[in-house]
Amino acid sequence: MEHSQLAWYIAGPVLGLCVVAVRALFNARLGVTGGFSEVVGRVRQGALGFDWRGWFLVGVILGGTVFALVAGGPDFHGYGWLTDTFHGSAQILIAPILLVAGVLIGFGAKLAGGCTSGNGLSGTAMLSPAALAATATFFGTAIVVSFALEAVIS
Amino acid sequence: MTGRAAGLGVGLVFGVTLSWSGLSSPEVIRDALLFKDSYLFLLFASAVFVAAVGIALLRRAERRALLVDAQITCEPERPARRHLVGAAVFGLGWGIADACPGPIANQVGQGIAWSLFTFTGVVIGVYLFLRREQPETEPATDATAPPARAAQPTPV
Repeated sequence: MEHSQLAWYIAGPVLGLCVVAVRALFNARLGVTGGFSEVVGRVRQGALGFDWRGWFLVGVILGGTVFALVAGGPDFHGYGWLTDTFHGSAQILIAPILLVAGVLIGFGAKLAGGCTSGNGLSGTAMLSPAALAATATFFGTAIVVSFALEAVIS
Repeated sequence: MTGRAAGLGVGLVFGVTLSWSGLSSPEVIRDALLFKDSYLFLLFASAVFVAAVGIALLRRAERRALLVDAQITCEPERPARRHLVGAAVFGLGWGIADACPGPIANQVGQGIAWSLFTFTGVVIGVYLFLRREQPETEPATDATAPPARAAQPTPV
């Protein structure tokens, strides 16, 4: 963290209100993967006009830009355990690791019908059993993976 | 047009909050997943609570959606195998990269060079899924959830 962190009791409710806004506006689940999917799907069909999901993704990207401009730089430097573990020329390994992780994230989220925002926030807020099962599974898996990596690198 | 502007606006609020709260930082996510910091869990729980109360109020008021011609619904979905398999695959990637799609997109906007690899990976992963001609799992509106692979609805 390079900057003072917004308190959880402000950040959480703001994200929750975004979920409510999307339900009120579109009767839909808020989901960032839905945005990726909309853009990739349209481009694949040779179209460039996106519905609100694509523009939502654009907003999430530009929100990072707005923050970096106001705060005078990005929120962090390096890249977590990867740049702590791989130094010098070994850093070239980080690229394929992140690329493969990204493929797993994108494919897995689509298969599960949502990522941390689509299933984790929006789906659990509707008490959807599918979303609750998916959220428990991805949190559990990510926790196990994190502890496994910690055991290997330390 | 209004729908797209509204999508952009909600995205901006969501994105600025992801950056400001530190959810876009791999270290914050990793500390949470290793139970070193309760911040993410408190934030997540408060977000779900507010969203659940808000959606329940919308349903109780029997409101219609503002930008699509539909009653506000809230259909719980039954868990299927794909939810568990997909979430496990997703969780594996999340635990390695310490970023999920929102933070990844947000990192790109912040100008984090490493995030271009994760971002490209997500695009490839979504593309590989769409190539399998699966039904839409995250529709633009639940009101007109199309059958498997119907014609693309007009952009909202």
